Amino acid sequence: MTHHPLRKLQALSALSSAVWGLCAASLLIPLSGFAQDSAVDQDDSITVAVRRLTESQYKNTIRDLFGDGIEINARFEPEQRENGLLAIGSATLSLTSSGFEQYFVLASSISDQVLGEERRASIMPCEPRSNVSDSACATEFISHIGSQLFRRPLSDAEIAARVQTAELGASQAEDFYAGLKLALTSLLVAPEFLFRIEQAEPDPEVAGRYRLDAYSKASRLSFMFWDTTPDAELLAAAGDGSLHGNAGLSAQLERLSRSPRMEAGARAFFEDMMQLDGFGNMVKDPAIYPKFNQLVADSAKEQMLKTVIDQLIVDQGDYRDLFTSNETFINRPLASVYQVPYISGEEWAEYEFPEDSDRAGILTQVGFLSLWAHPGTSSPTRRGIKIHEIFMCEPTPDPPADVDFSQVTDSEAGTVRGRLLDHMENTGCTVCHQRSDPPGLALEHFDGLGQLRKMENGQLIDVSADLFGKTFVGAKGLAEYLHDDPRAPSCLVRNVYAYGVAKAPGYQEREYLQQQAQVFADTGYRFASLFKQIAMTPEFFAVQLPEGLESAVASSDSAAQQD
Amino acid sequence: MSQTRLNKQRISVMRSVFCAIAITAPASALADWTKSWVIEWNEPAHYYGAETGVIDPGTDCPQGTNPELDWVEVLVKAGYTREEAEWLRNPANPTRSPVHGQQQMAFRGEGRANVYINPESYPDTGLAGVTGSIAEGINLDGNTDTGFVSPDGEAGIDNTFYKALGCWKTYRGPERLSSGALQFNDIMRNGSWTMLIVASGKGEDPMNDENVMVGFYMSQDNMVKGGDGNVAADYTFRIEPHKKYEGIFPAQTINGTIVSTESVTATLRDPGYTRDLELLDAQVKLTMNKDGSLRGYVGGYRPWRPVYDGWVYARGPVIESLTWVELPSVYYALKREADYSPEGSGGERTHISYALRVDALPAYVVTPDASALATEVRSYKDEAPELPAMARGSLGTIRVVDGIVIDPRSEYQPGPDAVILPE
Repeated sequence: MTHHPLRKLQALSALSSAVWGLCAASLLIPLSGFAQDSAVDQDDSITVAVRRLTESQYKNTIRDLFGDGIEINARFEPEQRENGLLAIGSATLSLTSSGFEQYFVLASSISDQVLGEERRASIMPCEPRSNVSDSACATEFISHIGSQLFRRPLSDAEIAARVQTAELGASQAEDFYAGLKLALTSLLVAPEFLFRIEQAEPDPEVAGRYRLDAYSKASRLSFMFWDTTPDAELLAAAGDGSLHGNAGLSAQLERLSRSPRMEAGARAFFEDMMQLDGFGNMVKDPAIYPKFNQLVADSAKEQMLKTVIDQLIVDQGDYRDLFTSNETFINRPLASVYQVPYISGEEWAEYEFPEDSDRAGILTQVGFLSLWAHPGTSSPTRRGIKIHEIFMCEPTPDPPADVDFSQVTDSEAGTVRGRLLDHMENTGCTVCHQRSDPPGLALEHFDGLGQLRKMENGQLIDVSADLFGKTFVGAKGLAEYLHDDPRAPSCLVRNVYAYGVAKAPGYQEREYLQQQAQVFADTGYRFASLFKQIAMTPEFFAVQLPEGLESAVASSDSAAQQD
Repeated sequence: MSQTRLNKQRISVMRSVFCAIAITAPASALADWTKSWVIEWNEPAHYYGAETGVIDPGTDCPQGTNPELDWVEVLVKAGYTREEAEWLRNPANPTRSPVHGQQQMAFRGEGRANVYINPESYPDTGLAGVTGSIAEGINLDGNTDTGFVSPDGEAGIDNTFYKALGCWKTYRGPERLSSGALQFNDIMRNGSWTMLIVASGKGEDPMNDENVMVGFYMSQDNMVKGGDGNVAADYTFRIEPHKKYEGIFPAQTINGTIVSTESVTATLRDPGYTRDLELLDAQVKLTMNKDGSLRGYVGGYRPWRPVYDGWVYARGPVIESLTWVELPSVYYALKREADYSPEGSGGERTHISYALRVDALPAYVVTPDASALATEVRSYKDEAPELPAMARGSLGTIRVVDGIVIDPRSEYQPGPDAVILPE
């Protein structure tokens, strides 16, 4: 029987809607929190964390699985920063209905591209025997791609559901690939793909204790080190259980950290830690900073990341030198802002600020200086707050609601320093400002775009600072101060750990982090080996059962004993 | 950053465009100071004598800008019946499509000759020229008894190009507001071409130096606009050696103004359809401002016929309709005001005095291979590739023949014998 083409289209559309509804409903299951009934699975595994893929993780995964050429045009749901990191916030994120629609449209687009005539030969593990139906081939494809998307083997039920979707779609459309696209779409919008669902299983070596299952470990490592889905070798190490052993884990960590893809992982980490997502909506007053445009904003962000990667990953340098090193990269737009010639025919070039330059280290780059400033002025307070928060893990509380900022914001009156000192006479503000402002005041030779200046409103700018008795002058003084302050490397250690486990460290981890900070110092503050150092510790994979689950597990165990 | 990497940049931070250059090569080849700019705006130096508006009557053009023409009347005067003229000017008729222009308008010369390529087949209908006494530009011939007076009182300003065309809508208006200036500077600023200026001197004071060289060069690096929509300063540009567009001017600086010490022959990129701004006896008068910018004039005698042809090949009927002018009157005005006979011209005044007003922003200019700052003003023509053959008669993808668009597929073909009205 031959269907009318329009009818086939209608049938397929109806089926697609059904897939949408099915997928949307399925999202409710893992996102319903850690309800006791659903978190403890029949096989005794426990869902201990659910983390939504970041935009870059999503894109990297699609690229790795299906190739560079897949176009990903979508507006991703906003991420949320918690305790200084988006990674921590990712463990608290859900999906809005409009966000799910975006994912669904994107999934359909990806499926169309992946299984389109041009690309399908390189993706398909088999050749369908019939243009309409070949359940064996559909099963092979779904099983193969599904395990990569879900980062673990699919259960029989998970495969069967998608094969059924594929067969139904194929028969309705009289096209094998049309059905398979629906199945792929359902995989791409499945919570098991969009979220990293970490499972714990009973630890066979210690009765009553849980351990992260091997596939969850593989994902945690892969997304931390490479910012993408686990590759075949890592999944294999999870599959054969070797990832649970020290030797197997060590071998994988060695491989992950030595791979060129480590750069992508480090970029993602520092983009998160340095809060570079702020560049996406940075605004500058064009009348005050005419050089600023989106090109400058993008370049400033890229300069920070290039600097970090080159110094810490490529050159395997001392993390603390990030605050003092004059070596960086510039491009044509940034050279304009820095007011230096761009002596290169390439898009980016290595650059070293001369010794007598006012600039030193990453805090004097346009990126940091412009991101933490106001649209029309510099902001010692913002800069100081962010130095404490990002690099020393010392957040500053929000100001009281009734503070009068009028003096501070009068940009035509004297220098920012003077205005802030006046503002600090308000005793309610002093406590925070005497801590937040000094580092920022030392950076006042840079305006709100990060351009060098010595004067403000006709007055010489004083860049001396006194931070609880520790005095320094200007950006170089601040750089030396941060370089020698042990809180900076300790903060990095804390952030690496928190980023990897997607959890803000608690008091109980304080001693562990102190130990790791000491190891980090003993090994020369080499960031390149810090991921490996942290991931090799048992604490990195330690399972902390969600609140309320411990009793559920206990009662479940006792029930099993009674049986 | 690895110390083993080659070609590591170690460039001194420079707080302004001015840069003291370390002497690492033969002293005779290097300057003691170099400044460089990118031209962010340039237009014919035309003084606007009105206090308001862009076409208002003023001291330059007491009747205001030449008014829009009644093209039906023009065609009727040229011998078309009123019915034919109205049909040709009716927007509903296909021959008036933007692609075609009003091609038949070309054939209004004597015997229906194409007036664009035979302008003298058509009477001089009189393009009102500038009657005021003030003009911008340079005293090219050194004679203070002839020419205009500059806005700040300098006598002898030679700019008869302004006198001829200064009341034409294309060229008239306050700075940066004439339709021609807007059109061509938009094109330039959006990346069609970039022109650089490098000045270097051997004296200690760049503001007062008797031994200065000024170079005008092309660059393939585009200007970049900042958040305010204007071209951003301090960008770096590579010199692009060019066989044609280059100018090297011996000069001196007097209180910050660069003034030619001898006339030269130079060809710059014209901000107009002519493309080639060929200048004989060319000179510069450029002021270095405190904010680092540069402003002033490049002047000389340019051949006027290419100017006219530039407008013709930009599609004569389109230009006439949009800019309120009869092109033959432009031809006659240029010919009438031409004031220079170069050697070999047999006394014919083939050239007309002209000044280009230049506004330039501080920029870094580097050598063609981007290996160093361009500290020496010299010719790069020897390093330039041969120019491609000029494809006159094409405007982008449009084929222009004798000033009109030819579409071989069109049912209607313009010409002296064309049947105007549908049968």
